[in-house]
Amino acid sequence: MMMQRKGLVVALTAATLGAAVGPAMGSEGNGDSPLGNSPIRLVIPFGPGGGSDMTARVLTATAPEFCGPRIDVVSMSGAAGLEAVNYVMNAESDGHTLLVTDYGPIVTSGYVDDVEWSHDDWDPVMLFTEWLPTVYTRADHDIDSIEDWVAQLEAEPNSVTFAHAAPLGIVHLPLILFEMETGLENRHIPTSGGGETRSMVMGGHVDLGMTLPASIAAEVENGTLKALGTFADERADVLPDVPTFKEAGYDVSLPAWLMIFAKDDVPQETKAFLQDCFMEALATPTAVSMSDRTNAGIDPRGMEASADLYRNTVEVVGNILREIGEID
Amino acid sequence: MLEALTDALSLALDPSVLMFVALGILLGITLGAIPGLSGDMAIALLLPTVFYLEPASALGLLVGIYKGGMFGGSISGITFGVPGTPGAAATTIDGYQAKLKGKPNRALHTALYSSVAGDTSSDLILIFIALPLAAVALKFGPVEFFALYAFSLLLISALTRGQLAKGVAACALGILLSMIGRDPIGGSLRMTFGMPELAGGLSLIPVLVGIFAVSELIVQVSKAWAAKSRAIVEDAKEKSKMFSDYDAAADKLPFRDFLKLWKATAIGTGTGTLIGALPGAGSSLAAFISYGLAHRFSRNGDEFGKGSMEGVASAEAGNSATSGSTLIPLFAFGIPGSATAALFGAAFILMGMSPGPTMVRDHSDVIYALFIILIYANLVNLLMGKVLLPYYSKMSMVQPRILLPIVFCLAIFGTYAAGNSLIDVWVLLGAGLLGVVLRLYGFPLAPLILGFIVGPGAERALRQSLLIGGEWSYLFSSPIAIGFYATALGLILLFTLLLRNKA
Repeated sequence: MMMQRKGLVVALTAATLGAAVGPAMGSEGNGDSPLGNSPIRLVIPFGPGGGSDMTARVLTATAPEFCGPRIDVVSMSGAAGLEAVNYVMNAESDGHTLLVTDYGPIVTSGYVDDVEWSHDDWDPVMLFTEWLPTVYTRADHDIDSIEDWVAQLEAEPNSVTFAHAAPLGIVHLPLILFEMETGLENRHIPTSGGGETRSMVMGGHVDLGMTLPASIAAEVENGTLKALGTFADERADVLPDVPTFKEAGYDVSLPAWLMIFAKDDVPQETKAFLQDCFMEALATPTAVSMSDRTNAGIDPRGMEASADLYRNTVEVVGNILREIGEID
Repeated sequence: MLEALTDALSLALDPSVLMFVALGILLGITLGAIPGLSGDMAIALLLPTVFYLEPASALGLLVGIYKGGMFGGSISGITFGVPGTPGAAATTIDGYQAKLKGKPNRALHTALYSSVAGDTSSDLILIFIALPLAAVALKFGPVEFFALYAFSLLLISALTRGQLAKGVAACALGILLSMIGRDPIGGSLRMTFGMPELAGGLSLIPVLVGIFAVSELIVQVSKAWAAKSRAIVEDAKEKSKMFSDYDAAADKLPFRDFLKLWKATAIGTGTGTLIGALPGAGSSLAAFISYGLAHRFSRNGDEFGKGSMEGVASAEAGNSATSGSTLIPLFAFGIPGSATAALFGAAFILMGMSPGPTMVRDHSDVIYALFIILIYANLVNLLMGKVLLPYYSKMSMVQPRILLPIVFCLAIFGTYAAGNSLIDVWVLLGAGLLGVVLRLYGFPLAPLILGFIVGPGAERALRQSLLIGGEWSYLFSSPIAIGFYATALGLILLFTLLLRNKA
């Protein structure tokens, strides 16, 4: 009995030590890449399993062949994503630690949170895809179109309840922008996320909701939900019959995006190499197939185009936040 | 349909799928039993394998991890006093007390059988009446959810064992701690004291593990240092003998003894299935409500909190019964009602399926195979549990002075690994200190955890209701909500009358 107990103790101790040192002894890939052998870390400021995670994993599967080292996806959702951003900001400027994010943790947070970096400290390496915020409601709701929505609010201000995830997030700021443009007011009902928003819309507890097209494409197709409009310059591929707000006559467009960022002091040739190898990887049949299967809609753009979009988003978000008094 | 079923059977019963199910369950139990880690983490890490495996094999692996992880969390709770998953927090209340009385094997087997019973019932509900139940789930909006949370808080006396005032205070403290971070409605920061690291609030796992495990370690070490008198040393030696002389074979649970727990198991199963179908409610809420209801309706209510097998059975059945029903909103509407459902939703998407009602129509062979896997995975879980539990029960009776430091190290590693966050580790240690203070002054810990779990949802539901309805009376506008309030008050009155009659 004593020997069995001792054996158990030894096993437990070994397990503890193994958990501690195991990862440090893992292999780090090989290849003659200018980036060397150390893995590239794509740090995501959200929990695992979400759209960002799944999209980034397309690179883990396809990019090592072109970039050289292994590519790891690391989820760090602590401090509402700020921990991930700070982790990348404090990492070596060697191009091995990159941030994969939408504009919330980097643009909005840069304005409203007490951070030790500024928007200029980040350079986009490339863009994975644009996400187009889309307003929707349940199929049997009286509001059938953007015009119906506006008409109801003009007749009865504040009479429409609008559910959205995360205050000042990527599916809330477009609504604020629309209200700034039109002078109309909805009753904003923040939720814990897209799932809760959809439950509340489908259950008839609120009138409208906002989400990204891929989340509701199937329901729109089978007639459970109807999409009213998209806050983008062009229609979403998965919702080709849904007009943009611009087409409806409202000059509001605030697409979200998923980009890879490096710190601005990472050498330019390193960033250029990363851009090239990532773009090559995403053009492979494997990556295209993975993107189709996951509905990720990957449509990559290089550094220059991404930087233009980033700067534009910084400006637009800053204007919105100033207008509503969130920042000076 | 018959052809789809036949295809599904050949898919689901393929030896490679069986192997992946067994592997998944082993992985899930192992990870779930390590404080701080969970089956959800393993599912998230292994999601990319979906690209490379056949759909049925991938689903078998993920289902196995999920079911194993759910039960594994209770192993950690009973064995180490640390809930391995939030859903196991209620199981730990009585499970760990049973272990301290030298009956870990009995408690573990109670948890295993009630887990399998709850899980199987929930899976059958998913398979046969998902759509009607989903339609009921959609009727739950902010008003109904607030009533549910209020109902769960009103059952708190089950967790307080005669210390109602302290229990309420601990619960209030838990709610207060849950409010640290960003206001869910306005977005402003609350109680972060200028630390941006707290913007995301305190995570549940480090608070849970810290309150239970770290405080236990500190208390045990303090007791060892404080043992100055011969009497205390002799008492410690006496207790130590319980560990060194432990015989798992003598600490068995005959199946007929488990059958006597049918009422507690049934309450947990029914409650867990219903609550699991509500998007966002969570397995921990289901477990606590099951525990509270079982306490109310038990003839041996005084035993709850002291190692009662009814307490273990009801909590664990409630926890596990959410496993199948949590997928109902995903299947019926494409809405992920929990983090696990979201991961399964991601897996379906990776397989080229769109979560929602069209999934069954367009991929009937894979979905029916999933249903078959869900059912037989419970049997594999049972068999694997029977094999592993004697080892876990022996492990649990290793001397605390050796076991607790190892559990502490695992808790730190597990907590960090779950979120890659050092902040979580600091929260773990801080929660441990808080747990020590609460224990010193005789405050029960379970109500704090319940308050912490319920707080965010309750606040959000209340404020959403007021935003939608505009006035307080809106909270009573729903028959479902009124039903919850009436039931809670009725139970309190009934319990009070019974106590008076007893006195």
